[in-house]
Amino acid sequence: MGYTLDFGAILSGEHLRWLISGLRLTLELTLSSWVLALVLGVILVLLRSSGIKPAEWFVTAYVEVHQNVPLLVQVLFWYFAVPELLPEAGRIWLNERNSEFLLVMLALSFCFAAYMSEALRSGMRAIPQTQHEAGRALGFGYLRTMQYVVIPQAARLAIPPLINYSLLLFKNTSLAMAIGVHELTTQTRQIENDTFRTFEAFTVSTVLYLMISFVIMAGGALLERRIKREGR
Amino acid sequence: MLDILREYWLLFLVGQYPNGPLGGLVATLLVAICGLGLALPCAMAIALGRISPYMPVRIAAAFVVHTVRGTPFLMVIFWSYFGLPILLGRPINGFVTLVGALVLYESAYLAEAIRAGIEALPRGQREAARALGLNYWQTMGLVILPQALFNALPSLLTQFVSLIKETSLGYVISVNEFTFAAAQVNNQLLTKPVQVFSILALTFFAVCFTLTQTARRLERIVARRRNGMAKDGEPTALLATEPTP
Amino acid sequence: MIFFESVDKFYGSHRCLTRITAHVAKGEVVVICGPSGSGKTTLIRTVNGLEPIRSGRIVVNGQDVHAPKADINRLRREIGFVFQQFNLFPHMTVLDNVSLAPRKLRGLPREQAEEEARALLARVGLAEKANVYPGQLSGGQSQRVAIARALAMSPPVILFDEPTSALDPEMVGEVLAVMRDLAGSGITMVCVTHEMGFAREVADRVWFMDSGVILEDASPEEFFVAPRHPRARRFLADLRHA
Ligand SMILES: Nc1ncnc2c1ncn2[C@@H]1O[C@H](COP(=O)(O)OP(=O)(O)O)[C@@H](O)[C@H]1O
Ligand SMILES: [Mg+2]
Repeated sequence: MGYTLDFGAILSGEHLRWLISGLRLTLELTLSSWVLALVLGVILVLLRSSGIKPAEWFVTAYVEVHQNVPLLVQVLFWYFAVPELLPEAGRIWLNERNSEFLLVMLALSFCFAAYMSEALRSGMRAIPQTQHEAGRALGFGYLRTMQYVVIPQAARLAIPPLINYSLLLFKNTSLAMAIGVHELTTQTRQIENDTFRTFEAFTVSTVLYLMISFVIMAGGALLERRIKREGR
Repeated sequence: MLDILREYWLLFLVGQYPNGPLGGLVATLLVAICGLGLALPCAMAIALGRISPYMPVRIAAAFVVHTVRGTPFLMVIFWSYFGLPILLGRPINGFVTLVGALVLYESAYLAEAIRAGIEALPRGQREAARALGLNYWQTMGLVILPQALFNALPSLLTQFVSLIKETSLGYVISVNEFTFAAAQVNNQLLTKPVQVFSILALTFFAVCFTLTQTARRLERIVARRRNGMAKDGEPTALLATEPTP
Repeated sequence: MIFFESVDKFYGSHRCLTRITAHVAKGEVVVICGPSGSGKTTLIRTVNGLEPIRSGRIVVNGQDVHAPKADINRLRREIGFVFQQFNLFPHMTVLDNVSLAPRKLRGLPREQAEEEARALLARVGLAEKANVYPGQLSGGQSQRVAIARALAMSPPVILFDEPTSALDPEMVGEVLAVMRDLAGSGITMVCVTHEMGFAREVADRVWFMDSGVILEDASPEEFFVAPRHPRARRFLADLRHA
């Protein structure tokens, strides 16, 4: 069709710098949200198994809401609505810094915390009561039985879904584009606007996304293989 | 919140229709249903490819699945946005773009759900069909796929919920769907983001939660049927019905 | 060593142990038998507090197991328990299964705990399986590891709940051999089992249970030759015909 591919315009000079800064922001967003999501997820699981009824209801509602509302809507809610709910001082504080990154990071973390807590919980529930009894029969208390017997096994069961959610978390950082965070997808569109090299720009960033996804998938597969080799 | 609803419910529901293009919640559901309808046959083909006796077919199917699973849906939308017009040789509207992206993306995910359904069947099923003299396609079409699709029904419904949630990304390429309608209302009102986005979120929640609960009920029914049929000692692998954002 | 004083146990409104009063002396081997559902499992699970009781007292080694202030975790270290389904920890090697309690509860250094664990594994004939995961063991091997695990805290009392009934017939012998060896070592043993040959050979006494009651408490000679209770007679007859 008379169209000649030219990656040079994208992989050099200013555009390459845009690309790299976008990639860096994507990775930062992924990592920070992942850590926060996991911490929140663990807290949610603990709350849910605390035996305190209102806490359990809260977690159930939390999980259902975050799983049944589109993540993009959650991101938009954080961006447009949450600052309105803050007191004046909080709004000013947000406006003074680049709050988009922070808000999308929180949106991703709060959403994926729900998914991760469910992964952890189903891992816990899959460990038969008899394992617990065997630990108690040896003389371990509740917490130590949890520590040595139940949690190590539950964590192994939870690892495959957790890896899956990590991958989805990474991919969904691209939603940050909707509120103007300059991560990889946004930068790709900027480059595309600047060069009109649509095909090349999207090829390059798709390949970048794929490479990182494959690293996560391969790491996950290796981890799972190692777990399978040991016991269960 | 109620006054906003009273004023804008039609815009939320159908967009500019009938004076302009159909939009709103109805458009969202329509896109999702079209997406599912077109993706299912592709997914079945990919699932059969994943377990094909021919290595090159298996590799090709695995390649498609892993590539799609490794790409953000937003990227797929952009590929559809720029690529589909070139492929089809004419400009396309936002709906077709969005449906195209959904079909491409969801085929891979649905295929994995169907494959899990197939692999959860006891080996004896295929052997029994082959022993009767059915050929490969008869075995798949008459014995394996009907059972596998039944087993996979809950996961397919869960995946449909994901599909509905994914249509919200039409907002990014300005497709007139539900999220876009809400953003429009928000722009008109300017001072009521909490109320507007709460309406958006609550409506999505009502639709998706209902379907999720239905999927859970289905899963129990399917599990009962399967356990009823399984013989002693045969492991009844649980079907993963994990929801995704 | 173990005293039951008028022990009552309910599941909801279903009475499952009725005024059990009995005694196991130090070093004694007691075999409990009786039809399925008669409360044998429940009875020995009350001994280490895995099941709570409604009323009565159970005293093991001078300590009341169900006293509100009892340190149940400390008591359980002195009561080995072997489950019907082994319940090994699948995420640990055989050696770790056996050395876990000594390391974490007695605070033994790893080397010493493992040395002791290896000695126990040798005693049950599985020295070579130390670094294997439970998933790779046969049923008989698993149960022998479970016995080694129960012995790791050197408990003066060990309880068995039908240790051979989850096993294929050809593996029953190896487990019974270990138990026979154990019975000769002076440990106090309470064993729910239907292996009547084993009972005849090593038991000091046999308890026959039915409907939550110990109907007969006799020496093996008395029990097998002339059971007093008609239900015990029928039970033995059924076993012989099975
Ligand atoms: N967790 C439980 N809940 C309710 N009933 C139980 C429970 N465990 C056992 N039972 C009942 O208690 C009775 C004694 O059971 P068990 O001690 O397991 O008998 P055995 O070991 O002699 O076969 C049976 O009638 C059984 O149905
Ligand atoms: Mg029993």
